[in-house]
Amino acid sequence: MRISRRSFAGLLAASCVMAGPFWAADGLAQAVKRQKPPPGALVYFHYPLDGLRVPERFTVRIGLRNMGVAPAGVEHAATGHHHLLIDTDPGPPGRPIPSDYNNIHLGNGQTEVVVTLPKGPHTLQLLLGDHTHTPHDPPVMSPKITIYVR
Amino acid sequence: MQRSPAPTTAKLSFVGLANNDRVPGKFTVRFAISGMEIAPAGQARRNAGHHHLLIDTELPALDRPIPSDFNHIHFGGGQTEAEIALTPGRHTLQLLFADHNHVPHDPPIMSDRITVEVAADPAEKPRSAAAPGGRVFFIDLKDGATIPTRAKIRFGIEGIAITPAGTMSPNGGHHHLLVDAEVPALDREIPSDFNHLHFGRGQTEVELTLPPGEHTLQLLLGDHEHVPHDPPVMSERIRVRVVDMAQAVSATPAAVGGRPRTAAPNDAVVYFIYPKDGATIFPSSTIRFGLRNMGVAPAGVAKPNTGHHHLLVDVPTPGLGEPIPSDLNHIHLGGGQTERRITLPPGKHTLQLLLADAAHVPHDPPVMSERITVTVMPGGRKSARRR
Repeated sequence: MRISRRSFAGLLAASCVMAGPFWAADGLAQAVKRQKPPPGALVYFHYPLDGLRVPERFTVRIGLRNMGVAPAGVEHAATGHHHLLIDTDPGPPGRPIPSDYNNIHLGNGQTEVVVTLPKGPHTLQLLLGDHTHTPHDPPVMSPKITIYVR
Repeated sequence: MQRSPAPTTAKLSFVGLANNDRVPGKFTVRFAISGMEIAPAGQARRNAGHHHLLIDTELPALDRPIPSDFNHIHFGGGQTEAEIALTPGRHTLQLLFADHNHVPHDPPIMSDRITVEVAADPAEKPRSAAAPGGRVFFIDLKDGATIPTRAKIRFGIEGIAITPAGTMSPNGGHHHLLVDAEVPALDREIPSDFNHLHFGRGQTEVELTLPPGEHTLQLLLGDHEHVPHDPPVMSERIRVRVVDMAQAVSATPAAVGGRPRTAAPNDAVVYFIYPKDGATIFPSSTIRFGLRNMGVAPAGVAKPNTGHHHLLVDVPTPGLGEPIPSDLNHIHLGGGQTERRITLPPGKHTLQLLLADAAHVPHDPPVMSERITVTVMPGGRKSARRR
């Protein structure tokens, strides 16, 4: 059921163009000290799951194992906040996660988010960021899943 | 009027309902016809007709259409059963078959007239008991007080616990605020309308908007099914005078007893992603929490619209005005965790989620889930609860 990555390369390219200027613009994040996640930390989708057909408006529910959630800006050991990456790849790991339509920040510690997507296939990926929105080292990241909006 | 002929062998009777039966106030009556067929009213067919139920009335004249009123119920669509509601006391019921013109057949096809008795008090289902001494009251609002058109009304409770609607508990309930209303019937669900406000999620205050003038307010606690307790837990009915904000001299109290609770959005919901109510789970299971319209923050972090989870195992809802206790039955997820692996001995257990603020005090309104019951299957290696 999984469709080939190539078939929506155009979509990806478009989103990268959109996201590009953010990384180009920020030069301050060069030497951010990245947090170490606790052992066994894992972020995953409760819903939707890979390959699922979903309505245009649906709730993404996020699970997190062996770690806690804290709002952005709160420095607390073994915590982070969720980011939902839609139709995009994670950026360079040492940089803060950009904030745009493709990188949805759940900065208040939310564990679910309602998204509305146009019909067709889309990719979703979860990436945890620390208090400065920077991914951990190694990143706490879900596999990229593909869903079909009907 | 022309009457349709009917076979003499046709028989009409009630199903499962006999003379002198005791019945609840609302029940389903079923009709059985043999030797004839059922046809909707208006369809002229040989040896066919439709039912009529006569309640508390003699037989009508048989040579004209059966009247249509509260005592003569027509089933012109060909129905063979009906749910009827009767007042307490004795009632008579009789079935009468009639043709397409609602005229009884010749000879008339009818059942025996039976008498049923509706119990005076629907005592089949006992009301939830309330411990003596349980009471509800208005905080800082006295009889005769003057309040602005938009006022915050706070509810106090003593000797009985607050549990959300839907959650059964031995000595718990949720508030109802009766505005300009008499005490409703205590043996049934409290009505839900503008005069009977439900606080099914365990809220202990409300922003009430009332037109200027005299109004009455009363609190009435309801159990998991919104039915008042036995004895009912209710406050005095107080009279308040509502005056327009503009000229209102701040007569409302400012100081509120107890510590201030952190506000939560009204639509915040905490729920179990896993397990669901009634599920059978492994002795060692990961309990997963969902939170809607709020965020998670570790304990100690005071940020608006955030809180941290507490998993309550086999305990009633704790007091909502104080920090949630921390012990084996009140599991704190102070690190902002959204799931927890627990090990339980086999058997039935209850689980409930309760969100609390930086200081472990539940929000106002409290963000808590229903208390669910799960069955832990036997055969685990460990039967001691971990941590």
